[in-house]
Amino acid sequence: MKVVTGVVGNDIHVVANRLMELSLHARGYEVFNLGVNTYLEEFFDAAVETGAEILLISSLNGEAEGWGREVKQLKAKYKYLDNLVMMIGGNLTVGSGHAEDIIPKYKNYGFDLVCHQVDLNTGLDLLETFIADRKITESNQS
Amino acid sequence: MSQDEKLLIDVGSTYFKVSTDENIEQHFRDFGKDILDDLVHKCGKTIDRFEKNDVHICSSANGGLSALIIGITHSYSLKYATNIAFNSGINIIDTILYQNIEDYSLPSDLVDVVVIVGGIDTKTDIFGANLYNYLEKLNYSNVVFSGSASDAANLQEHVDDVVILPNIIDSRLHIIEDHLKEYLTNLYQQDIEGKEDIKNLYDITANQIFPTPYIVNRALPLIDASFSVVNPFILLDVGGATTDIHYSKDLVDDNIVTENEYDRLVFKKLGVYKSRQSLIFAAQNNEFVYELLTHLKVTENIFFEQTEKATKVLMQLAIFLVLCKISNYSKAYISLKLLAVNSIVLTGGITKVLTTEEIEDIIAFFYKKILASEHRPVTILDSNYDIWTIGAKEKQLCL
Repeated sequence: MKVVTGVVGNDIHVVANRLMELSLHARGYEVFNLGVNTYLEEFFDAAVETGAEILLISSLNGEAEGWGREVKQLKAKYKYLDNLVMMIGGNLTVGSGHAEDIIPKYKNYGFDLVCHQVDLNTGLDLLETFIADRKITESNQS
Repeated sequence: MSQDEKLLIDVGSTYFKVSTDENIEQHFRDFGKDILDDLVHKCGKTIDRFEKNDVHICSSANGGLSALIIGITHSYSLKYATNIAFNSGINIIDTILYQNIEDYSLPSDLVDVVVIVGGIDTKTDIFGANLYNYLEKLNYSNVVFSGSASDAANLQEHVDDVVILPNIIDSRLHIIEDHLKEYLTNLYQQDIEGKEDIKNLYDITANQIFPTPYIVNRALPLIDASFSVVNPFILLDVGGATTDIHYSKDLVDDNIVTENEYDRLVFKKLGVYKSRQSLIFAAQNNEFVYELLTHLKVTENIFFEQTEKATKVLMQLAIFLVLCKISNYSKAYISLKLLAVNSIVLTGGITKVLTTEEIEDIIAFFYKKILASEHRPVTILDSNYDIWTIGAKEKQLCL
């Protein structure tokens, strides 16, 4: 499967970004890493150009907080991204916060999977489970 | 005349320039005359002194090619293809986002070339009936596909005479310029050579006639040999029909990674002669222009005057509007980091009309009003068309 990944906004945490790329590769994904300092529109555009099924955004220290609010509105402008799996992970709040508050907020922004302060492998396991569940649902529907 | 002396001629949309080792002449074109007749009438004695092998001509008098680019995203396919087209000397560019193609009206004029781009090579089934229906109704001369290799056969089947080129986007979403750039540059070249007016110029030269933007682009890496230009810089060529901007790549924060040191951008309706009305229209729609007119101690009535003073003011406005268009204030397809610009070089007819002080005044106004900054790049006037002659001579050395 194809994954577009990168670090959103004015965030230059390149080490985590590189680790994500390596882990995704190791799990057999075809990875399109947009790197740090990436704007939301570039993520969606990259998904269109590559035909990616998954968009995995990483963020540290709450940078995604501001950008996240625009996700739904921006994604609605794209005609062919309805099935894109939207995932975000990292430290998703400024200062400290509780996952039970943060996860619903990002889900409301339009993300299917939200991993706040979850280690990388656990997060990617969640992604695989999500994809497997979706496939079962789709095959049941058809 | 020394044995190696060359005659360099630049035919623009409004003026032509004729340069020898001793001097440079500039003449306003007589649009009632064929270009060659006009040239011979005004500079016949100079031209007669040279053998055909020693005459080198470049031209932008064909008005440039019009290109319509159809791509699938703004950040990649459309942006990359637009960048390549500008750097190939294409002047008039419109873009269509494919997913919304049904919402776009058909251009009324003949489009010289339609460029279709989008997708990495493994992406399939990008283009379909919507594209083919649109192209059927469109009046165009050439069509080229430089998108996903997986879609090429599909395009070939449905679009007559489509030229298939390798993808401009590689598997890492990086730009690959060479093939499309070569195709568009050759098309521009053929267009210049195909124009009756230009064809006649081969009566006085035995050398190939090149597009002017191509010649200017060649001069940019050598510009510090003639001027005290400090990188990064922008070069503004405010002409009669269009305004060309050549800029150091260091001034752009963007996802286009190429080997070019400089890129080019054109504003097709910003000129002080043929595009005068659209320049005035653009000015009237800029909220700061009235403040600028007050600063210049003139009123809006200046737009309707045909005086030397009016031409000066229009040129000053053109500088201001162009800087606005490449700033964050009014973002074109790119915005430049104008606070990092060290030098602004001006070339073209503008250098014959405005003084350094008058230009610096406008640049200072722009930085203060739009960027709220005291930054002042050094202004350099290419009053003697050195940039064009450096480029033309560089071209000869490479031949």
